[in-house]
Amino acid sequence: MTKSRITRRGALKASLMTATLAGTASFFGPWKHNRVWAQGKKPIKLGLTCDASGQYGNSGQDDMRGMRLAIDEFNAKGGVLGRKVEWITADTETNPATGTRVAERFIAQEQCGFLLGAIHSGVANAITQVANKYGTIYMNTNSSAPSEAGENCSRVKFVWDGNGTNFSKAAVANAVQKIGKKWLLLTNDYVWGHTTAAATKAEVEKAGGQIVDNLLVPQNTRDFTAYLLKVQQIKPDVIAMAIGGDDIKALRQQIADLKLEDKAAWINNQQDWPDIWGVPETLFGVFGTNWYHKLALPGVPEFVKRWQTTYPQSPIPVPGNVSYNGYMATRELLRVIEQVGSTNNIAIIKALEGRKMAAVDRMQTYDAYIDPVTHQIQQTIYLAKRNPKPADNTDLFEIISAATPEQAIDTASLTTCKLKAYTDIPTYEQ
Amino acid sequence: MSIVGLLPHLVNGLALGLLFALLALGFMLILGLMEQINLAHGSLFALGAYFAHAIATPRLPLPPDMLQVWAQVPLGWRFTAAMFLAPVLVAPFGVILERLMRRTYGRDPLYGLLLTFGAAMVIEELIRIAWGTRDYMLPVPRGISGGFLMLDLIWSTYRFWAAGFAVIAMAVVWLVIERTRFGALVKAGAHDSEIVQALGHNLEKLRVWVFVLGTVMAAVAGVILAPIWGIRPHMGVDAVIPAFVIIVLGGVGSFWGAVLGGLLVGMVVGLSGAYASEWSMLSMYLLLILIVTFRSRGLFGKKSVLEA
Amino acid sequence: MRTGRTVPTLTPAMIAIWLAFATVPLWIEKVGLYQYLGVEILIFATYALAYNLVLGHSGLPSFGHGAFFGLGAYGFGLAQLNLVPDLWFCLAAAVVVASVGGALVAAFISHRRGIYYSLLTIAFGQVFWFIAIKSHAITGGEDGLLKIARLPARFGVATFDLTHNISLFYFVLAIFVVVSLLLWRLVHSPFGRILKAIKQNETRARFVGYDVWRFKAAVLVLSAGLSGLAGGLFAMAQSSAFPDVMSLHYSGYIVMMTLVGGGLVTFWGPVLGAIVFLLARDVIGAVTTGWMLWFGLLFVALVIHKPEGLGGMFIRPARPAPADAKK
Repeated sequence: MTKSRITRRGALKASLMTATLAGTASFFGPWKHNRVWAQGKKPIKLGLTCDASGQYGNSGQDDMRGMRLAIDEFNAKGGVLGRKVEWITADTETNPATGTRVAERFIAQEQCGFLLGAIHSGVANAITQVANKYGTIYMNTNSSAPSEAGENCSRVKFVWDGNGTNFSKAAVANAVQKIGKKWLLLTNDYVWGHTTAAATKAEVEKAGGQIVDNLLVPQNTRDFTAYLLKVQQIKPDVIAMAIGGDDIKALRQQIADLKLEDKAAWINNQQDWPDIWGVPETLFGVFGTNWYHKLALPGVPEFVKRWQTTYPQSPIPVPGNVSYNGYMATRELLRVIEQVGSTNNIAIIKALEGRKMAAVDRMQTYDAYIDPVTHQIQQTIYLAKRNPKPADNTDLFEIISAATPEQAIDTASLTTCKLKAYTDIPTYEQ
Repeated sequence: MSIVGLLPHLVNGLALGLLFALLALGFMLILGLMEQINLAHGSLFALGAYFAHAIATPRLPLPPDMLQVWAQVPLGWRFTAAMFLAPVLVAPFGVILERLMRRTYGRDPLYGLLLTFGAAMVIEELIRIAWGTRDYMLPVPRGISGGFLMLDLIWSTYRFWAAGFAVIAMAVVWLVIERTRFGALVKAGAHDSEIVQALGHNLEKLRVWVFVLGTVMAAVAGVILAPIWGIRPHMGVDAVIPAFVIIVLGGVGSFWGAVLGGLLVGMVVGLSGAYASEWSMLSMYLLLILIVTFRSRGLFGKKSVLEA
Repeated sequence: MRTGRTVPTLTPAMIAIWLAFATVPLWIEKVGLYQYLGVEILIFATYALAYNLVLGHSGLPSFGHGAFFGLGAYGFGLAQLNLVPDLWFCLAAAVVVASVGGALVAAFISHRRGIYYSLLTIAFGQVFWFIAIKSHAITGGEDGLLKIARLPARFGVATFDLTHNISLFYFVLAIFVVVSLLLWRLVHSPFGRILKAIKQNETRARFVGYDVWRFKAAVLVLSAGLSGLAGGLFAMAQSSAFPDVMSLHYSGYIVMMTLVGGGLVTFWGPVLGAIVFLLARDVIGAVTTGWMLWFGLLFVALVIHKPEGLGGMFIRPARPAPADAKK
């Protein structure tokens, strides 16, 4: 939104208002602020919409650790365009209504030029609606519902995580050939689960396999007995799970307790690091991830070291995929602002679209790019299993394969995503 | 679906039902004997689970050397200690809650409900402050954990132990209510408080004891169910709603109504999980609407002040 | 409704409240808040007033009102996306959908009282919430029903754009004025007096010859419809509709707002409650994620010491609190 021309009187009034605001803000707005540069150029302000409570409270905070590291690194180098990068955060509570309110507050009141962060797709969408209205660029760091870069994509939103379809593509064909054709789906009964299950089903059938049943598990299920009995009765070759958050922790625990892990091949679509940390003894089967802190790639150990130095007190001792995505989204945004030479949203969006990111730069096996059609980051997708010979107590995964972005691409989203024209986006500069 | 295929799910539903009945029992005691709705029942249940975890893992706020000694004790003993000690630790919360509720006696039962709704919020937040938002698992001693083979399927051993514990706990409550002087007094008080006072008994004290019994039962259910349902701040809310549903299904004030209500809910949840997993979340509520539409006071309900 | 039958259509308090709200956009940013918060507060104030029709004025403790609010939000969004994108039509759709939901629930529960009433409203609330999540093809599940536009308000020749929060605020204020006026008249009408009679003693009301069932059903449908209207406005404010507002938590919040504000003793209590609740949530919620602890303590203290709510502190109760009326 370009502000109208400012008259001198208006400017005076505005500065008075700012003064009043600054005074009251300390009283009414006890938001976590990071004001360092008081004078000089106006800072670039980012709004971090991270859950601190609710189903994804833990993951939201890990996401934020990644973002803050990237911001700190830029500020240490003198900021972006010679301007300090400031950030502000508030708990989005894993709740869409709260997401809307926080996004409104960050854009309208706190004058944030950019929003970053989401785990839950409902919250991500609520924030996107607000961002659309103002034309504010929004980085969906970690919500991996395929609909995020499909039917619910947006010109102002960029999606940084791999989605359910990507992981299915990477895992399924191989498993049908090597393990067996009789597949059972165990699906969390919500959008991410459904779309992921549909993607898995398509891949299984394409590879010549067969889905014998799809058991829908309500969100927040802790007692999986009824499902596990049913699984035993069906006797499938492969069980493909799309179970998220703390639910998968409980399920793993119960499968391990009953020693069912060897009765069939278990595939978990995507295993977020914060969801496995703390219960490593229950890790089994094959699962997907887009990054791991012990990948044998250049830059990885240095990154982990930097992260750990910054967060010596972190409840999770090493960065995982969630923190990684937060970091990468923030870093790339700030780089693009620097490169474009302004904070003009349209210019930044255009620069992000189709942007290529070298493998070595992103600490992944293959080069990645931002899909100009869907705004999803097309990247390396890894499959992993429990590490039988861990180097230390954080070394839980053994990476067993890496799919290229082309192998894992979600082709359906290319047709379901319809982006608005640039001219329909309100423009702003911060 | 064949009978052979159905059987495991019936067995599972039965075990689950006993656990649900246990969960609802403390709630029923306070409701049936005091005509007070304790929405904080779930929070007391959660506290039971958290305290049990603190005792068993062990994370007690004790001096490190004492803690070390306790950690050397076999898990079986620690688990047993948790089962008996955690409810004792939760009991004071019940006493406090009863004191607060006293102000609402004689008023519309809605106020008791609202008070305990607020108390539930407060306890849940206190749990978040004390233990954080993460999930915990209560470890089960090796002897009663793991799986065993039955009907050609692997079953969770602890589930059956838990159902057994539930039966014992319920039997104890039944004996206390039906076979002791205390029980007789309490029951009399529920129907006519003046008689009890005329007989020279302190009704206030009696009420505290009923509340403590309800609280202890909530905590016991929390300990027994923790290894199955996990431990997290939100577990109280997740537990109080089924308890509520079961009581209304079974009929307010009826011991056997609560047991039967619990079994019915367990069956419906177990069977729908296996055969209509899409509906499992809703099954409990549909059952409630169905039964209460045809039997307005539930299966064994009597008329109570709560309808006013 | 102190003594006589005639209650003025407009009261000074009413006008003062409307005018006070009208000034909000002028200063809200200066005190460190933001325009959208004003919109949200006004929507929830409308919702709370509508809810209090059942709780405060009829003594029916519904714990599943979020369902109606959510039905309104979906009704608004679906009418806009699939039928006619016209503001008036969509708001009417919100009211109708929520009223139909209300009528369905009313058919099952209107012969109920007290806690049984609460329980069944919880059960129905859960059923609606669950259906909203499950009907992914229609509602978008927890992804939400997105791309709901803030439609322009057409008044014959003049058309107002509501895209901006300030213009939306004044539109919501206009609805709030209409709803509050309507409810004020209603509770002071013969219909309202019957509701009060039912609240005080249902059996007696029945003996006197009122068809209690019909009145209880009517009041629930009416309250559901107006809650749906508020839900429609919320869908517009959020530019989307999500199932979360139908959850038990949100249904509980509206009960808390209404009670904290003093809905049981004053007509305007729910408005005060909505303001206190949402401001506390925004301001305390910014300092600590445990804001519910403080709000819960406040709530407990109120139930114990001041069951008539905050509103009860400012006015001498015009009518006795139901607590005392009971026994």
